[in-house]
Amino acid sequence: MKTDSPNYDDAIVRKFAGVTVLWAAVGMLVGVIIALQLAWWPANLGLPWTTFGRLRPLHTNAVIFAFAGNALFAGIYWSMQRLLKVRMFNDTLSAIHFWGWQFIIVLAAVTLPLGLTAGKEYAELIWPIDILIALVWVAFAVNFFGTIAVRKVSHLYVSIWFYMSMIITITMLHVTNSLALPVSALKAYSIFPGMTDALVQWWYGHNAVGFLLTTPFLGLMYYFLPRASGRPVYSYRLSIIHFWALVFLYIWAGPHHLLYSALPDWAQTLGMVFSVMLIAPSWGGMLNGLLTLRGAWDRLRTDPILKFFVVGVTFYGMSTFEGPMMSIRAVNSLSHYTDWTIGHVHSGALGWVGMVTFGMLYWLFPRAWHKKLYSEDLATAHFWLATIGIVLYVVAMWVAGVTQGLMWRDVNADGLLEYPNFVDTVTRLLPFYWIRVIGGLMYLVGVLIMAFNFIKTANGTTDANLEVANG
Amino acid sequence: MSKELNVLLGHSADNDGIEEYDNPLPTWWLGLFYFTIVWGAVYAVHYHFVGGRSQAGEYDAEVAAYEAAKPKTSTAGPTEGPDAITAGKALFDTNCVSCHGPKADGVDAAGNKSIGPNLTDAEWIHGGTLADIEKTITVGVPEKGMITWGPILGPEKVKQVAAFVHSSGGGQ
Repeated sequence: MKTDSPNYDDAIVRKFAGVTVLWAAVGMLVGVIIALQLAWWPANLGLPWTTFGRLRPLHTNAVIFAFAGNALFAGIYWSMQRLLKVRMFNDTLSAIHFWGWQFIIVLAAVTLPLGLTAGKEYAELIWPIDILIALVWVAFAVNFFGTIAVRKVSHLYVSIWFYMSMIITITMLHVTNSLALPVSALKAYSIFPGMTDALVQWWYGHNAVGFLLTTPFLGLMYYFLPRASGRPVYSYRLSIIHFWALVFLYIWAGPHHLLYSALPDWAQTLGMVFSVMLIAPSWGGMLNGLLTLRGAWDRLRTDPILKFFVVGVTFYGMSTFEGPMMSIRAVNSLSHYTDWTIGHVHSGALGWVGMVTFGMLYWLFPRAWHKKLYSEDLATAHFWLATIGIVLYVVAMWVAGVTQGLMWRDVNADGLLEYPNFVDTVTRLLPFYWIRVIGGLMYLVGVLIMAFNFIKTANGTTDANLEVANG
Repeated sequence: MSKELNVLLGHSADNDGIEEYDNPLPTWWLGLFYFTIVWGAVYAVHYHFVGGRSQAGEYDAEVAAYEAAKPKTSTAGPTEGPDAITAGKALFDTNCVSCHGPKADGVDAAGNKSIGPNLTDAEWIHGGTLADIEKTITVGVPEKGMITWGPILGPEKVKQVAAFVHSSGGGQ
């Protein structure tokens, strides 16, 4: 194999991996700042550009599209070339994808603090940027399917199916949800009216979680977990069944974001039952991940990479159980609009997406740079900071969310609200908001330690034994 | 079906060295999947066709349950006379002083002009009779920042606050 080793493009992988670390630090720093703003209002600084309302979309966009997005691209460019045994289809398209995506992120970082927004959650960017996203995404899609077309293997590994589901579905979601009539260079109105617009928005919003933060990360798990552990995937059969079940069921579940709204009852029911049916298909991924580690559990004590993967996959299982529970009408009537939702999102984002990404990066960085990791101890320290940080964050938001929900629905004997002033709930929640700041800060410090570790790694001595060098 | 085979598929040459077993689906996992599908169908049919439930119906049922359990006499106390004025003063001190000032005279605690107008003189923007004042409190003056107090205080307490304001010097 070494004699005809394909000339893989690892420079593009190093680029995506590098900016992943950079955007992780930026996105999570903004997250800690807005968490502080909720606990201590003077942190809004009294400037329009730095208020919570403008920084919050900056945080979500930076974490979802800059951190998670670039992490996916790094993992996909590395793994698909090796799984298809061929260099990326077209280097120019790879470059357009990389630089275009970073340009979009910079545009987001400028426009959102200026208050330029389309007003749709996780789709806040204004219409000219939406068009740019579509163009860059299509460049990626052509490159991706082009590489599949010229592949040197007959069998497509499970990771590739998951990546494909992302590329196809995100294209459909982004284009449909962004359809709008521009009235000026910076402003456009959605072509969908009222409730239809809300339904399209949450069909997008829910499936952005499904097809950007779930399926492609499962694809990464299916590649990097067996590679890092050296164990065979537990069940090929399970991977097929849970893949198709997941992608089929996920796309219907969006209406669970609109329970007890003007959405027709039947559509609410549809969103709820499809969410509940998602438990097993989601857990299929968790099972295949954890059972793949059979025979490698002893290495969990020493190997920080496997630690990250195990906690990541476990949080995936936890939040994919919590999500369907929150989709049940009776639970949702308490949880909706509360901090519980914020806690749920972060157990997925910090717990699943973050931990799998860190595990992948600690495995990938030394191999992409052909350098030995600078410090395993720092990686282990990062693991513990991140894990304890997530637990603090999520538990604080559970308590805050349930408290908030119960206070909002509390009525006195006259049938009037017991806490008619919103601020009554805010003052009650302040201690939990401070715990969240601490948890988030720990997570951020962990990322900074990782960045330091990687910089030292990249400047270290070359280790030719790490992964076959490729020309 | 539940017996593990642990047989390698032999795709590893195509999979960058990753081997795959083809183990059967865990029985409990498959059972969970079937259960949620059956539960989903049963729930949907029951909610919409058998139980005849709906979002609007849920609201009606909650209101009916409240009406049935509602205390026959209000807990808010008297709505007219000196006791109502005393009760109204207490409510005013809790809810109104931040905008109308601690003496209801349009002067805040620091001695500056308060957000809301003076309620102790003979000048009335929205009418100075007891009924006018009650109405203003109930619906609020949202365009100037006064919220709709009716649903927050309830009719009895609104009457008490109105009685206090009416007795504060300018009532007509």
